[in-house]
Amino acid sequence: MGRTIVVTAGKGGVGKTTVTANIGASLAKMGKSVVVVDMDIGLRNLDVVMGLENRVVYNIMDISEEKCKINQALVRDKHLTSLFLLPASQVHTKDDIDVDKIVEIISTIESSVDYVVLDSPAGIEKGFESAAAPAKEALIVVTPDVSSVRDADRVIGLLESKGVSAISLIVNRYDLNLVEKKKMLDYNSIVEILGVDLIGIIPEDKAIIDSTNRGEILVSNASGSPAAKAFENVAKRIEGENVPLSDFTQARGMFWFLRRER
Amino acid sequence: MSFFGRKAASSVAEERLKLILVQDRSLLPPAQFERLKEDIINILSNYFEINKSEINLTIERENRKTILEAIVPVLSVKRDK
Ligand SMILES: Nc1ncnc2c1ncn2[C@@H]1O[C@H](COP(=O)(O)OP(=O)(O)OP(=O)(O)O)[C@@H](O)[C@H]1O
Ligand SMILES: [Mg+2]
Repeated sequence: MGRTIVVTAGKGGVGKTTVTANIGASLAKMGKSVVVVDMDIGLRNLDVVMGLENRVVYNIMDISEEKCKINQALVRDKHLTSLFLLPASQVHTKDDIDVDKIVEIISTIESSVDYVVLDSPAGIEKGFESAAAPAKEALIVVTPDVSSVRDADRVIGLLESKGVSAISLIVNRYDLNLVEKKKMLDYNSIVEILGVDLIGIIPEDKAIIDSTNRGEILVSNASGSPAAKAFENVAKRIEGENVPLSDFTQARGMFWFLRRER
Repeated sequence: MSFFGRKAASSVAEERLKLILVQDRSLLPPAQFERLKEDIINILSNYFEINKSEINLTIERENRKTILEAIVPVLSVKRDK
């Protein structure tokens, strides 16, 4: 029996899809079997971020409408043999989703893999609800800005009211340089304000844009980059390993270097 | 760094967030809150003589728990005749 985790945020563009792909790939690199699911029905993106857009044949709505079997819709990753994508449909809208069917599909998949990671769409409407419905755990992605943290607070409240209680926070696009100059919110303030557990801090990293443009997942393509290391640490913490949050205290030398680069 | 007494952007952001969330987290819109207060007064009035003007009702969220607190000074108890 695997674990089902929804990656969500409320706000758009904060890195949900990037986090889903990289956490999924990091868990697969650790030898886990993983299915990442694109729940952004009508605006699918995860296939593109993973560079699998040419291999998509069927999607989750086809399974829901009984046009294909689950196995026929799963797309294997280019590099990691235990990582699979379940794509979203591009022609349907969120109103077409049958939430009960989705929950059923995900629980079937969950019974035969280690992890199901669901990428949720922006917003708190039906798309969010159907991504959250099958999950018992949630990763909330925030960027260090007022509106992202505000939206996260709302989403955390909604998830709790739906019975998702294992909620952890990922602070994405963190820029230590700006934080030290007191221009950006400190991760400690964000954690304190939201009152949920922090599971990782992902630095702002240009390597992400480069990888995404190439259709490669960062942790596969540039595993030495600061963000890739941070993603892999999050995966280890999900697996229960006690990895200290050294990213921003001890590994500072790395960031001083990056800073001079600008 | 702040200069000439100008607050750091991160502190301003933090203060704004806290204020915004106090509003967001107050779960009941003002009209409904007033009705809740009326309802509580009406029910309590069946049992107690109370001073309506001194009732203090708050809904707060702390550490992701919602707490409804009502402070109601009781003047006397109404006994069944
Ligand atoms: N840590 C980071 N450093 C640099 N760029 C990043 C980082 N995280 C995400 N990005 C970039 O931000 C953009 C938005 O990311 P992404 O698509 O993952 O967000 P999203 O929350 O899924 O968006 P949407 O709400 O539209 O689904 C992408 O171009 C991505 O490459
Ligand atoms: Mg996305």
